[in-house]
Amino acid sequence: MGVWLKRHSWIVPYALLAPGMIWLTVFYVYPGIQMFIASFWSGTLETGFTFSLDNYTNYTAALEQFAPYYGRSIVYAAAATLLTFLIAYPLAYTIATKGGAQKNLLLFLVVAPFFTSFLLRTIAWKIILSEHGPVLGPLIALGLVPPDFRLLATPIAVISGITYNFLPFMTLPIYVAIEKVDGRLVEAAKDLYAGPWRPGGGIVGGIVGGILGGVLGVIFGWSWPVLALASAAAGAIVGWFLVSESFVRITFPLSLPGVLAGSLLTFIPAIGDYVNAEYLGNPDARMIGNVIQNKFLTQNDYPTAAALSFMLMAGVLVVVAVYARVLGTEDVTTGRL
Amino acid sequence: MDRDFLTTAPISRRRLLAGGALTGVAVFLAACGTKGTAATPVPSAPVAATGAPGTATGAPATAGATSAPSAVAVSPSAELNWANWTYYMDVDPNDQTKHPSLDGFTAKYGTKVHYQEVIDGNDEFVAKISDALKAGKDSGWDLITLTDWMAAKLIRRGWIETLDTANVPNLVANLKDVYRNLSWDPDNSHHAPWRSGTTGIGFNVDVTGDVSSLGVLFAVDPKTKGKVEYLTEMRDAIGLSMLYLGLDPAKPTRADCDAAVALMQKAKADGVIRDVKGQSYTTDLTSGDAVVAMAWSGDMPSAKVDNPSLRYNLATEGGMLWTDNLMIPKGAAHKGTAELLINYYYDPVVNAQLTLGVDYISPVKGTDELVIKANPDDATNPMLIPPPDWIARLHIFGELSEADEIYFNAQFAKVIGVG
Repeated sequence: MGVWLKRHSWIVPYALLAPGMIWLTVFYVYPGIQMFIASFWSGTLETGFTFSLDNYTNYTAALEQFAPYYGRSIVYAAAATLLTFLIAYPLAYTIATKGGAQKNLLLFLVVAPFFTSFLLRTIAWKIILSEHGPVLGPLIALGLVPPDFRLLATPIAVISGITYNFLPFMTLPIYVAIEKVDGRLVEAAKDLYAGPWRPGGGIVGGIVGGILGGVLGVIFGWSWPVLALASAAAGAIVGWFLVSESFVRITFPLSLPGVLAGSLLTFIPAIGDYVNAEYLGNPDARMIGNVIQNKFLTQNDYPTAAALSFMLMAGVLVVVAVYARVLGTEDVTTGRL
Repeated sequence: MDRDFLTTAPISRRRLLAGGALTGVAVFLAACGTKGTAATPVPSAPVAATGAPGTATGAPATAGATSAPSAVAVSPSAELNWANWTYYMDVDPNDQTKHPSLDGFTAKYGTKVHYQEVIDGNDEFVAKISDALKAGKDSGWDLITLTDWMAAKLIRRGWIETLDTANVPNLVANLKDVYRNLSWDPDNSHHAPWRSGTTGIGFNVDVTGDVSSLGVLFAVDPKTKGKVEYLTEMRDAIGLSMLYLGLDPAKPTRADCDAAVALMQKAKADGVIRDVKGQSYTTDLTSGDAVVAMAWSGDMPSAKVDNPSLRYNLATEGGMLWTDNLMIPKGAAHKGTAELLINYYYDPVVNAQLTLGVDYISPVKGTDELVIKANPDDATNPMLIPPPDWIARLHIFGELSEADEIYFNAQFAKVIGVG
């Protein structure tokens, strides 16, 4: 066997690739082709469907009607990706650099929610965000929040739900990237006067915080100047006290591959998600995934549903391709920048 | 309860069945269901070979079992999988997880019933099992409980098993007359009505006061703004909207649909609506997040346990009447036992036990009398026995052609927020 293998060593990579290739062929390529064919059907479930290339109009008609849903999905997924980044980065940084003996426990806690089903976790958020739940209930009772204010059945709830559900996908790659940063580089930088970054950190933090807060405010439909000012102040404080030049010049650039990998792992599934919008949203906050689900399951309009899915997939592929082109997938796979 | 149909009545019928095998079981069954006397009994053992498909694995084939002269019609399987809606089964007041009437079935036949309240909407549920049914495979369910229009559609598609009338003598004898001779299953050979109910207004009386008009679902009112919920069941939502507009849901046209959708869209744009939901609207009403909703009649008495302020009313403009039906999907693993269960629930004594705990209209003759005897107040409970003035205001949504149904669903998708 060993000799045979040595003589036919070309076979090894193929043998190692085979399980993955077969798996993807059966469960991804084949259904993908089926879906592509279905997107050129016309007809109904009861009369039967017929294939014709003339039915490319399925695509144009679907795009015309549902373009706003693609737009909304992109905005929600991007907002959720941004929020997961803002939450995950300090978390991952702290675990990687200050975790000490508790590192494994902390990492376990990050993934612990995955021991509960995705659906249950989302439904739990319904209870948390309810006007009569533990968060809003007391606030409304105390009169701190107007009685007709609600979080559930709004875009905020949908984006919050996505953020929560995908947080570990952002945290873990960033953690790995920061963990890999050579501590000696940071020490060397500090020796070379890359200490606390004032006032630069405060100014940059304020500007970045202000922009992020403003953008999120616009997306959520809140008064964005207030949010921008508040987050500018927060950003300035964080930048002033917590950001050192060694972080800006060494740790952050070296952790970027983790950030980029985490962004992809969050954005791609988030854009097609429909569970959060179904349970936490309302008719004004549904995403393209809900449209596809309704087309498939309620209206039995398989051709339109297939065309919508295919366009979503193609759109995501384009995004990933552009990303790979501009930033290079090398960084994600090797951890080098 | 002491009547044991297995050992008494159906012997002659079993013989009839055996004779039927010579001419074709299906044809004979159909004849048997309506007349059941003409054929000559011919003893014939090898009928078992023609056993109904799908029963081979779990219970012995029904046709085979009936050919044995003294054996019971069906030997119950160890388990049975039943999909139903919530609030559709009596519960033990001391233990919410126990269903006395269902436990009675288990005690009698030894079958463990996996009773699951998994149906949130007709379309959603059927979509999950339609691939299996299309392929003629076991969907995993032995009994499904779906609304008339969906039942009609599934039967038309040939996805539903034919009931073996020999196994459901109670259904044959005790089904209320109003449920017979329906256009989509005239001899009741494919479906057994489970419960009927009405669609009207569910409301929190502390917030809204007494409600009698559908206007509360559409009009801007600071008390209810953003706390109104609609049903995702297209026929219920469009039906109530049509009634508010003075249109007749028994004869729905595309123009009616457009008008109803426009009405709901306007309410949505005005910020009246919180969400459009399936069965889960009840959780929002009980929590208080919603205060008015399109509601299914029997849900409100059950939800009242969690929130005593909830009420149900059939609006002055009218309400919708519907029936959910038990059916055995094609390829079900335990068809015979499923028939036993249907038959069990068509015993008025059992059905009275169920009805006392459920607050929906029973389709079984003799049940109402037993219920009133046990609980005289129920004589005036409109959820169970709709009074004449309710009946006058109730409408059944008219049949839609497939093309119209597609049109209605596509328009209604706008209201759900996906169109």
